[in-house]
Amino acid sequence: MATMAKPRPEHLIGSNIATAGNRLPGIKDYEQVDRDIIATLQPTLGWFAMLGVAILCLLIGASTWVYQIYEGLGSAGYQPPVMWGVYIVTFVFWVGIGHAGTLISAILYLFRAGFRTTIYRASEAMTVFAVMTAGLFPILHLGRPWKFFWLIPYPNWRLIWPNPKSPLVWDVFAILTYLTVSATFFWIGLIPDLAVLRDQEKNATRKRIFAVLSLGWRNSDNEWRHFTRAYLFLAAFATPLVLSVHSVVSFDFAMSLVPGWHATIFPPYFVAGAIFSGIGMVFTIIIPLRKFFKLEHYVTINDLDAAAKLCLFTSCVVGLAYLTEFQVAWMSGNKMEQEYFWNRVFGQWTWAAWIMLICNMVLPLSLFSQKLRRNTKWLFMLSIFINIGMWFERFVIVIPSLSHEFEPWQWGGYHPTWVDYNILLGSFGWFFMWFLLFIRQMPVMAISEIKEILPPKMRRAHVEAHHAAHGTLGHPLPADGGTH
Amino acid sequence: MSNDTESKGVKRRDFLKVLGTAGAAVTTVGCSSEKVGKLIPYLVHPDQTVSGVSTFYTSTCRECSASCGIIAETRDGRTTKLEGNPEHPLNKGALCARGQSALQGLYNPDRLRGPMLKENGAWKAIPWDAALTLVSQKLGEAKSRGSAANAVFLNQHETGTFPSFLDAWLAGFGMRPHLSVDFEADSAVIEANRRSYGVSWPKLSFSDAKLIISFGADFLETWGLSVPQQLDFADARAKIEGAPRFVYIGPRRSLTGLNADQWIACKPGSELAIANALAGKGSLADAAAQSGVAVATLTRLQQELASAKPVLALAGSSTSDALDLALAVASINQANGAVGTTIRPAEPLTAFDGAARFSDVVAAVERMRAGQVPIAFVRGVNPAYNIPASGRFADAFAKVPFKVSFSMYPDETTELCDLILPDLHSLESWGDAEAAKGVMSLQQPAMDPVFAGTRATADVLIQLAQKDPASAAKYAQKDYRTWLIGRFPGGMSAFTAALQKGVAAGSTAARTSPAAPDAFKWPAPIAQTQGEYFLVTYHSPVLGDGRGANKPWLLELPDPVTKVLWSSWVEIHPETANAHGIERGDIVEVKTASGTVKVPAYLYLGIRPDTIALAIGQGHTSVAKLSEHGGKNDKVPTQWGYGRYARNLGVRAHDLLLSGTNAAGALALTTTKASLTKTADHDTLVSTEGSARQHGRGISQAIPLATLLAGAKGGDARTAAEVKVEGKGSEAAHEAHVPGEASHAFLPGLRSPVAADAQGQLGAPTSADHGKDKGMYAPTHWSGMASRRWAMTVDLARCTGCSACVTACYAENNIPTVGASWQNATVYAVAKPGFNITRGREMNWLRLERYFEGADEGQFTEDFEARFVPMLCQHCGNAPCEPVCPVYATYHAPDGLNVQVYNRCVGTRYCSNNCPYKVRYFNWFGYGEEDRKQYAFPEPLDWQLNPDVTVRGKGVMEKCTMCVQRIREAETRARSEGRELVPDEFTVACAQACPSRAITFGDAADPKWTVSSLVDDRRAYHVFEELNTYTAVVYLKKVIHASPVGA
Repeated sequence: MATMAKPRPEHLIGSNIATAGNRLPGIKDYEQVDRDIIATLQPTLGWFAMLGVAILCLLIGASTWVYQIYEGLGSAGYQPPVMWGVYIVTFVFWVGIGHAGTLISAILYLFRAGFRTTIYRASEAMTVFAVMTAGLFPILHLGRPWKFFWLIPYPNWRLIWPNPKSPLVWDVFAILTYLTVSATFFWIGLIPDLAVLRDQEKNATRKRIFAVLSLGWRNSDNEWRHFTRAYLFLAAFATPLVLSVHSVVSFDFAMSLVPGWHATIFPPYFVAGAIFSGIGMVFTIIIPLRKFFKLEHYVTINDLDAAAKLCLFTSCVVGLAYLTEFQVAWMSGNKMEQEYFWNRVFGQWTWAAWIMLICNMVLPLSLFSQKLRRNTKWLFMLSIFINIGMWFERFVIVIPSLSHEFEPWQWGGYHPTWVDYNILLGSFGWFFMWFLLFIRQMPVMAISEIKEILPPKMRRAHVEAHHAAHGTLGHPLPADGGTH
Repeated sequence: MSNDTESKGVKRRDFLKVLGTAGAAVTTVGCSSEKVGKLIPYLVHPDQTVSGVSTFYTSTCRECSASCGIIAETRDGRTTKLEGNPEHPLNKGALCARGQSALQGLYNPDRLRGPMLKENGAWKAIPWDAALTLVSQKLGEAKSRGSAANAVFLNQHETGTFPSFLDAWLAGFGMRPHLSVDFEADSAVIEANRRSYGVSWPKLSFSDAKLIISFGADFLETWGLSVPQQLDFADARAKIEGAPRFVYIGPRRSLTGLNADQWIACKPGSELAIANALAGKGSLADAAAQSGVAVATLTRLQQELASAKPVLALAGSSTSDALDLALAVASINQANGAVGTTIRPAEPLTAFDGAARFSDVVAAVERMRAGQVPIAFVRGVNPAYNIPASGRFADAFAKVPFKVSFSMYPDETTELCDLILPDLHSLESWGDAEAAKGVMSLQQPAMDPVFAGTRATADVLIQLAQKDPASAAKYAQKDYRTWLIGRFPGGMSAFTAALQKGVAAGSTAARTSPAAPDAFKWPAPIAQTQGEYFLVTYHSPVLGDGRGANKPWLLELPDPVTKVLWSSWVEIHPETANAHGIERGDIVEVKTASGTVKVPAYLYLGIRPDTIALAIGQGHTSVAKLSEHGGKNDKVPTQWGYGRYARNLGVRAHDLLLSGTNAAGALALTTTKASLTKTADHDTLVSTEGSARQHGRGISQAIPLATLLAGAKGGDARTAAEVKVEGKGSEAAHEAHVPGEASHAFLPGLRSPVAADAQGQLGAPTSADHGKDKGMYAPTHWSGMASRRWAMTVDLARCTGCSACVTACYAENNIPTVGASWQNATVYAVAKPGFNITRGREMNWLRLERYFEGADEGQFTEDFEARFVPMLCQHCGNAPCEPVCPVYATYHAPDGLNVQVYNRCVGTRYCSNNCPYKVRYFNWFGYGEEDRKQYAFPEPLDWQLNPDVTVRGKGVMEKCTMCVQRIREAETRARSEGRELVPDEFTVACAQACPSRAITFGDAADPKWTVSSLVDDRRAYHVFEELNTYTAVVYLKKVIHASPVGA
């Protein structure tokens, strides 16, 4: 390496690849883990303030929705032919966010990526709440939201069923499946920690709730064996869903005729985009979290560095997809497709397209620099850019396409109103309300898994040998330099 | 007391009571958001009324002077639809947008409800008796003072019996004959017709012409009798080979101009020079120099004129020398074999017989100003609006001590009056009109008066006469109907028989032509007036002289040329706009010697760079301060300023006009230059226009005549895909892919009933493997519908873009208008008329797209073409909207219709996203809910709603149904009569109204229907055929007639 000439700072040396094992040099013993993590559950004034803000945002969004239901969908900024607007954009945005959690907890688990250990719990919670948020939007955007259940197949005397040809019906199944599985996976992973909470809890009611949720966990070997098997099974089960859900969401677009939507690249493109945006949101959440909870020695720079590489990789995939779209349009010989892409990038929607390209394709290239990967301030700023960029990616997909379809007479524009913005704000309020409630009720890090990577004080050599011998799945090795 | 033991706990009986009550309460309160209404059938039917069955009354349209015949469909005592009367010699079943909108005049929520008297500047309702007594008294006073002869009666121009009845009545009180006012009538042309042909309006035959030259005569719009002219023009153009070429000469391309094959853009006021030169009375070079037209262009026209006989030359430019122009044009006609062929004085049309000239009205106003007029009556005209501001009508009118209005609506003139005796609408009253010489067109009420407090003016006049001892003896009849029938040849029985057809042979007494106007010299030719641009004003093809501005259908109907609606606009050429840095929607100030208006700019290719144009029809105002109101109608105060819909709407072009009349006594509309200043303001122009260019997508296709004729008739074996490859994307190539021949690759799909169409097998139903893959529906589907394929052809060689079909669709299908200023959401807090439409939310199931071909924007050229294309749901055999609907709200019917089930729709709007034609419309608000401010049908507008069609609720998608209610009605009728449908037995609303007969509807699977042979036409094509949508709407290419000379 070119940098070899210079002496490198000590903390940069060491495991720095995604599949490496993890070391937490700042953690001394199991008791410290319990102490540090459970300490995060104490409510603080700042937490109450943030929760208040989140609930306020939620109330603004909710009351705006009530207004919209009363007044009609016209109060939002729809401008035919742009029949889908901010709501669908935000729907896809939140579904995308909902991808990183399961990716980190399930796929990286299967790939034995050690850096996942400290961030996966928060990511998983983010997933569940993001999908809960996303699930609201298809209902929010309906002309008659009170009839939303017609999209669900339920027996009825009219014998009318949803249309199995419609991608929107696939969406219903995909989202509900994903929500169910990710919530289950989240909960199963929580069980040992819930047991810890149960054991520490003084309040009888809360103790009872934790007891129920932890399914009477007793920390026996047998339970651990079943637990790890179940966890592995669910991880394997959730993994294809990560790919399928966003593929199905992309079918909403890809299955249509609309120039700019009708593209076979959409499923992989959407999955990559979803993971990219999810990791962006993980940074947005984890970086302040580790600072406020003083958990920097748990979520180490090494972990963030490794996650940043994943971010860089997905950014490159997304960027490639963007360029491929242009190439496909160029080579298609289809005038309508070509004119649409021209209009997207150099015409009416230049501003939105370039926000997308710069935030998602250009700025993340900075992560090729190790210094910036290890700079939490930059990572945080970048993550905000990625969030914005990924929202705009969906904006650019949904709106410019609709505004510039086949019929030139019906070309138009789009101007969201405050109703759109309030509901967008409300969705963040809803998401962060759940997330803030979560971090004060449940450990934001998997206590048991962190303990696994800590060398037990007394029997260090012994335990290492034990792990090496068994190679138990789901127990990332506290390996030296990632050799196992 | 014996029950004590039982009373512990709930008794069974009580339990049931509570259960029953609670259940009932839940059922009543909980289940439905809709109000509970009552449906009470008639116990005893009123005569000739069967609930739910329509009665059709013939009548006469009074929306302009033409007097077309109409049929009013009336159900349960309410008229719901107007259609042309096929028996009528003028309109032969067609009806324009304005005629159809008469219904919204009838049901206008702002109609005056009863007599009102102005006392100390405040209006108060008074009973009829008091009102009549008051008028009687005032008439008596005038008579006794001997000033009655100076009284003025301004009546809307009518032909038929009423004018002579009115004059006789006036004479009874010693008053002079009334003035029969039509502000749209072109007095110069009428005068020239009289002098040249001896009649006020000869019959014009476009079909017999080889060349049509129009000097600003907008015969598809407000010039002459638009519907009969359009019918004939379309027939002439539909001949394809041997169709007349059409040259339009004028500074601005109107709708008529856009239908021309060639536009000669002369300077305003120079038409006369060109006409004279063509007539051989001047040199072409001089004319070219004066008019700013290339000499070569005029030379070619002269050569063409020499070779193409007979010609039909029409004058219409409303300039100060309009009479000279009309006479010069008449001499062109006379020299080129027109008289007797294309112009037929022997078959005169009487529409303008007896029409007063503008100068007559001005003379009356001047008498008012001089204080000579003791009493003035106004009925059906609005001089306070239609006389230019510089004519100072209001001042003069104020000098009249007693002014009576018979107006139905609160307009500017009525507001200045002292007493209002609201008239009945023509659909509520009796009358007649002389449509053509010897043809009486009868007018009968189609329903009882909407407002009990209104009375027919003719009846009021009789009642007034009966109060006057001198006149009473002559008016023994109890009402005008009796009076009318009494004078009908053959009496009651003949009259009743004639009502069946709506027309009868007969004639009214010839009306004396008004005396020649005083010799008048226009102060200065237009070229010498102040300002840098010529100002052209013209009557709006939609709103006419302003009388249409209180009807939301007309306000929501985009101007056929600019596609602007709910707003005024000034047309500026892009070249001029560039010079001023003006962009579309910038507010510009237009200033003349008479006044100033501020109006948004519309950049228009079809106007000379040295000219700007402004339409007449908007800018209604009121003296009274107006309160804001929503869509509800409870206790709204009188909506002065021509009703709630006309409020704050556009500008009044009359503010800019010089007052004064030309040699024919007409108000000249193009007489002054104007200056143009850009202001800092900008407003999104309310328009339905997206891109005005087709971008080579072949939506509205055209084919040069020569190419069409060169192509061999017969099938074309190539597939659409092969044609596509050859097309290479460029439009010229795309359109010329098969010389003179359409690919017709779509035909098997269209011809097959749905059982074998794109949903399943695409081959012809006779193919070998037919039956293996039956598609969605078996041919033996229980409904019996699977043997049909409802389809439509639109002949673009006929379509003129007049947009009558659009209004017909609104009327038939209960389409809400959404442009009123209060109809947007509360959240925008913008009270701008048309705001919803700036957001693209118009609901026009059928829209008329207008594309330009040629003329790259920026540089002026005469050489560009307009293409009109009515775009509606294409009822695709392989509809992209159907598979994406998650709840089957849109699906395919066995007879090929793409059906939208409003009740099932949840409003995902995916169908609209996936529709390549963008013909689906969403209910963004509760336009059909009367408690909302967005309510589109404030009472009594809701009386017009078609009971066969659902009023759609908030949050559902809607679109063209191909008038499925008419299809099912016809099918049911046939079934109940035990027969099959007769080919062409019925048609859809747009096709029915179309004044150019461009639309044909029918069963494409049955060769006996006309549409089935039309889809075979050499010019047939599908829009976006390459998308494999297998549409049921087939367009026939427009035919381009190139100049035969030179070029």
